[in-house]
Formats: sequence, structure tokens, C-alpha cells
Amino acid sequence: MHKYGLYLGCNIPFKAPDIEQSMRKVFPALGIEPVDLQGATCCPAWGTAPSFDLDTWLAISSRNIILGEDKGVDVMTGCNSCFGVLSEAKHMMDHKPGKKDTVNKRLASIGRTYTGTSKVYHVAHVLHDIIGTEAIASHVKYSLKGLKIAVQPGCHILWPTDVMEVKEENPFFPTQLVELCQALGAEVVDYSRLSDCCGMGAMRSTDQEKSFELLKRKFDSIKEEADPDMIVTTCSSCYLQMDGAQKTFRERGLIDYEIPVFYYTQLLALAMGFDPKEVAAISKTSRDAIIAEICNDNRKVQEEVQ
Amino acid sequence: MPAIKIDQDKIKEAVQTIVDLGGDGIRNCVQCGACSAVCPGVKAGFPVLCRLLIRKILNGQLEETIEEVSTWGCQSCNRCTEVCPQGVRPQEVVFAYRRYQAGELAMSASAFGPQMSLYETGHAVTTDATAANREKVGLNPVPPTALQNKAAQKEIQTLLDESPMADLGIF
Ligand code: SF4
Ligand code: SF4
Repeated sequence: MHKYGLYLGCNIPFKAPDIEQSMRKVFPALGIEPVDLQGATCCPAWGTAPSFDLDTWLAISSRNIILGEDKGVDVMTGCNSCFGVLSEAKHMMDHKPGKKDTVNKRLASIGRTYTGTSKVYHVAHVLHDIIGTEAIASHVKYSLKGLKIAVQPGCHILWPTDVMEVKEENPFFPTQLVELCQALGAEVVDYSRLSDCCGMGAMRSTDQEKSFELLKRKFDSIKEEADPDMIVTTCSSCYLQMDGAQKTFRERGLIDYEIPVFYYTQLLALAMGFDPKEVAAISKTSRDAIIAEICNDNRKVQEEVQ
Repeated sequence: MPAIKIDQDKIKEAVQTIVDLGGDGIRNCVQCGACSAVCPGVKAGFPVLCRLLIRKILNGQLEETIEEVSTWGCQSCNRCTEVCPQGVRPQEVVFAYRRYQAGELAMSASAFGPQMSLYETGHAVTTDATAANREKVGLNPVPPTALQNKAAQKEIQTLLDESPMADLGIF
């Protein structure tokens, strides 16, 4: 079985471990073995070392990539921010004259060396480009036929394309997540603010109200133009923001609707027949009704897929 | 608004500061505004990002802009980098400017918590509910990350202790 180093980041293992569990379930069933990168740290997030010192950032990011190099595996991350940070760091290490030597001098103090042998992928890329939508479709136990999905690809998986190992053809009209959702039988609906930012991250910690205004515009576009059964993303930050902020918006009387939010591998795991109590158990916006709708005998297209 | 006084030495120094901190592309900017047009930070109301931040630096207005919080609202989304026709990589300029601000201790208050946490646990974000969350979904309560891995934490602390970040008193 082909192995990938599963780089978890911070959000997924601590706040949304049901996303982690969904990855641990679906990948082996699809022929990929996720290997733990013991002792992995924060990527480091844009608001930490990258905001203060370039080489410290590169040293910490490189250390995480080295954990993959030591095991002879490429790194795959489920968080868009981690993907962005690690991809940019790797690009600088591999292409900026002198960078690798400078940073390796810092890494010498912890007895490590970056060589550049492991690539950086996002979970979505491994699903779309390595496993492929046909193989995914053949593993669906419960078809999502008739259900409408609004996708949220997120920022850091899309731009800048020049630092990525695998990428969208046109990042302003991304299609990979659309195709991944269609592989489950669902209909993916259009909305005009598809490539808008969800407002999580630096913006939210610097000025929550500005961040919420941006997200509210996005939600309104989703609700009014598409009225989907759920929102599906492959970014853990978008997931936390879009799931959690709906609760705040309802409490403030800003919205009167609820749209369940899933990380893609959670939805895939449900479609493959895995236990919702393990793969989709933690959320602020209730997902019970839509989960019951998905895991319904009427939707069964085959008995055993795992 | 008073006219901006052109002081060539000041401009040179400002540009060099940003180049040294990682914003090498700034010299190529032609002020076309493509970056600002796609910037979610600008859209949300942080005005001094992308084109305008670059203009201010190219005018030599480093100190005048030191308290500006727009840079801390940048999402690092790199839409600007993707569309810039001049290869400026505006996000790198924004981050170089952040590093300049941080060096002068002009940073967003929200910047402190994550640095402390990164130093102590190896993670910028943690939660007290980690073990309970993980057990609830059938995972080992201890994740395979640095969170409870003393050796990994020591490595991060060594890298941070030996970095210029140690002088800023942020962990
Ligand atoms: S897109 Fe590039 S050249 Fe145009 S204003 Fe922005 S940084 Fe300058
Ligand atoms: S990276 Fe920052 S400056 Fe560039 S478009 Fe995104 S939010 Fe704006």
C-alpha cells in the first residue's frame, strides 16, 4: 500500500479529531496508508514565526517536512493553512539561493538536516489526483444522489500556484472539490462568492467583526443563490469558522437558517458506511438530520465496500 | 493632506529594510492595483494592504505607518501573489512589513498567545478538551504530535531560543 505522512497540524487533532478519524478510516480503504509523523509541530501558522523571522519559520517548517523525509514518504496535510505554509517554505528552501544552507545551520542545533526529498500534498490532492474520482465513486455505499452541496475550497489550497506540487488548473475557478463531491453522487450548486475568503485566521483574530462581515456576505450568497443541503470544505479552518460562526450569527439574529458543514473526508466516510459517531461527531451546527438522511437504507448502492 | 516630502535616503532605507526582511519583489511594483482588487483584507476594510502598503513603503513612510493594523489582518491567502503581473509577491512584502513592525514591538495584541503556545507545546492552537474530543471519536487521547512529546517540544524551544524572536520577549 502506498504510504503518505499524515501531517495533522493543530486544529484537526485537537478541535476536530472526527476529521482525523475520517482520514484514518477512508485512506486505507482506498489503498493509501497514512503514516504518523511523530512529534510534528505547528506548521508554524502564519501568525507565529513567519510574522517575526523568516529563517525561524523555515527551520520549523523544514523540521516538519524532515519527519516525512526520514520515513521516506511525501507529506499530506488536511489543513489548508498548513499546506500553504509548508508549500511556501519548501519552495523557498528548494529555490532561494543559499536558503537551504542557512536554515540547515539552524537545524544543526537540533541534529536535523533538510534535504528536499519529500513533497507536500493536501489531502484533497491525494484524493483527486492520486486515488482519483472513479476509485472513490466505486467505494460509495450510500449514494448522495439528490443532495445539493455548496463547496468551500478555501484560500491556501489555491494560491499561489507556483509553489505547489499539485494544483488547480485555474485557481479562481477551482474544480477538484466539485468533482470529489460529484463522485459521491451529489449535485454541486453554483454561487457567486465561491472563491471568497471565509474570514478565519489572522483577520478574525485581528478584527472579529470585519471577519464576520465577510463571512456573512458569503453565507448570504450561498443561501440565496444555491440553498444547499450542506457546505463541504477541505480546509479545517474554513470548517471551524463556517460551522461555529453560524451559531453566533443565529444568536445575534443575523441569520435564521442552519446549513450543516462537513470536511470532505467526513462526508466520504459517511458515504462509505463508516460510523458517524467516529467520523462526524463534533459540530456546533447540527448535522444529525442530514447524517440520518445520508446513512439511510434507501440510498444503499452496494452492501460492503470496505 | 500635506504633500509627501521626497527624501531619497529615507526611501532607500525603507525599501532596503523590507527587502532584507523578505520582501525582495517590492522594487518591481508598478502600482497597477491588481492585488488590492482581489484582496479579502481590503474587501473587509483593512485599507493598508497590497498596493497602498507598497506605495507607503516606496514613499519611505516606514515609521509613519508603524501602528497600522491592516498588515495583521492579512490572511496570507496569496491571491495578490497569483495576480501580480510584476512578480512582486505582495504577500511577502506584507509579511516583511509585519516583521519590521514586530521588531519595533508594534504588533497586534492577538499575536502573543499563539507564540507562547508554540514555545510551550509546539502548537500555536491547543484546547483543554483535546483528550476528551479525541476519546469521543475513538482515537488515542494523546495525538502523535508534539503536544505531549517532550523531545519534540525541546527541539522547537531550541530553534526559538536561538532565533531573533527570543529577543522580542514574546515567549
Ligand atoms: S499587482 Fe503587483 S505591480 Fe500591481 S500594485 Fe500590486 S504589487 Fe504592484
Ligand atoms: S495575502 Fe494578504 S495582502 Fe495578499 S490578497 Fe491575501 S489578504 Fe490581501
